[in-house]
Amino acid sequence: MFDVIVRNGLVVDGSGAEAFRADVAVKDGRIAAVGQVAGEARQVIDAGGRVVAPGFIDPHTHFDVQLLWDGAAKPALAHGVTCIVPGNCSLSLAPLRASDRRQVVGMFQQIEEMPPEAFTTAFEWTWEDFAGYRAAIEKALSINVAPLVGHSVIRLWVMGPAAQERAATAGEIAAMQDLLRECLDAGAVGLSTSFVDVDENGRPVPSRFAQFEELDALCAVLGEYDRMLQCVPEFYATDITIARIDQLAELSLKHNIPTTFSPLFDTSAVPDNAPRAIARVEEQFARGARVWPQMQTRPIDISFSLLRPSLFFARLPRWVRILRQPLAERMASLRDPETVAKLVRDLGPDGGEAMMGRLVVRGGDAAPADLVGKTLSEVSKARGQVPAQALIDLSLENGLDVAFLSAGQGHQSTDRIGPMLAHPLVHIGASDGGAHLASFSTYGDTGYLFSEFVRKSGALSLEQAVAKITGETADIWGLKDRGRLQPGLAADIVVFDPDTIDREAELPAFDMPSDGMRYVRAARGVDTVLVNGQVAYAAGAYTNAKAGVVCV
Amino acid sequence: MSPRADEAIIVAADLVAGHDGSTELLVRLRHPNGAEAPVVLDEETGLRLMKNCGAAALGELVGQSWRRIVEGS
Repeated sequence: MFDVIVRNGLVVDGSGAEAFRADVAVKDGRIAAVGQVAGEARQVIDAGGRVVAPGFIDPHTHFDVQLLWDGAAKPALAHGVTCIVPGNCSLSLAPLRASDRRQVVGMFQQIEEMPPEAFTTAFEWTWEDFAGYRAAIEKALSINVAPLVGHSVIRLWVMGPAAQERAATAGEIAAMQDLLRECLDAGAVGLSTSFVDVDENGRPVPSRFAQFEELDALCAVLGEYDRMLQCVPEFYATDITIARIDQLAELSLKHNIPTTFSPLFDTSAVPDNAPRAIARVEEQFARGARVWPQMQTRPIDISFSLLRPSLFFARLPRWVRILRQPLAERMASLRDPETVAKLVRDLGPDGGEAMMGRLVVRGGDAAPADLVGKTLSEVSKARGQVPAQALIDLSLENGLDVAFLSAGQGHQSTDRIGPMLAHPLVHIGASDGGAHLASFSTYGDTGYLFSEFVRKSGALSLEQAVAKITGETADIWGLKDRGRLQPGLAADIVVFDPDTIDREAELPAFDMPSDGMRYVRAARGVDTVLVNGQVAYAAGAYTNAKAGVVCV
Repeated sequence: MSPRADEAIIVAADLVAGHDGSTELLVRLRHPNGAEAPVVLDEETGLRLMKNCGAAALGELVGQSWRRIVEGS
């Protein structure tokens, strides 16, 4: 008697091999058989017309805090993600002394934009060391977690306030090595570092004060465990990114470790940025180094309101001048009919339809709920106005606290990005799940991979796309038990409709502690998700299963 | 303030989408030896550059010294 049999699905097994029709049987949390399975099961899932694939692995997230009250990392699990890697960008919640919590919370708030209540009311700090944090999240996991330990917090533990002031001494570096060993023994899958991030006061995070000798010494420890180094390079400058690729390659070769850096964006303003970085990665892999660039699937949206100046208007001199005024003066100007007439005229004869018509009212602020998700073109037509006039009036009516979103302004060329995602040395990731909560949704990149790059552009086959975010990701990270539908491996399984899987529209949700707001995208086309053999999500709802583990 | 002949100047400016959902300013600098390289400025720095230059449009940044980027930072 099996526990579960998923019958009649199109099995895409995560290896990149051609899909085939088969059943998948599960017993004791593991895949027991793949093929024509005879026998019975306590639960049978009909997957006719659906794809049956390994659960997706998201290698770049910041769910460290959310996992303490939400073991499903919602909505990641609903999108078919069964394993997440938190602790990126040099920041994790352990090891962390009680006296240093406030400092690290500030750093987390800078990248996650989580309300302060998340750190004061949503959970109890019961740990200082990495094993303690692991125990805290393991109590109620629905999703698997492969946590990184952050270089910044290791530094802070060993050096105290000096971690954000100076290079480490030889003794301090040795202490960091010992602490990293302790974290790896407790289940960390690697170390993350950053050359970019800042704290809430704009100060560089501790990892940025490290000299190369320190990083080299920590990588020597990673080499003892064959574990990953994740790094945020100066991604806004191609030449520096390439220098970091070379540095990572040296560390990879010297210590025989995998390394990955994120993000890598494509931008029309610097069209040779991503191609040059990938070319350098090819050179370094040819030398035997492992330097995996992580590229996200989703395009970059930008947002703004009239509450504060934005470069969005930088091509409109009069708008720049008005929006640069102090708030009271700015509102007075926007109420002056003569000034507004000139502002509207600046947009040309269409009143801003071309430049502003596709802006979307975001919500999560003072925007009227019935307008959230509507385009400015729709709003303006309903009001009998041109878009520029509607944008000004709608903003004024709500204290200027109405955010507008301009979709697909960066990393948006499917024709360019598709081949890069399909490149054998490009690692699909960098979702930032659980970060930037108040700015944009970081969920659903896997659905977008299938809708945009498999169905729409055909840049990747179904099998390639699945392999990229399952088997190949597991191989890159050394997650030996995950990523493939193969007897003996953990039964992380997603059943989805290949014709509809996608991400839904971005909407505000008030599901953070103390009704804190974040932007989310619901999943489309994902039927059932199993984590370690238990159904964790089905028919649009999360179950009570808590079968997730900290996996190594 | 006119740029000196021996320092980098801004030769182009454009808007790009930032990683964090903001609008960023990409300026291309030409160095005295003729080499050109892009520099991406976050929204705050970009707005400050425009203010430092008294610019109300991107085109007005062209010809300005690179030093204007770091003024008041």
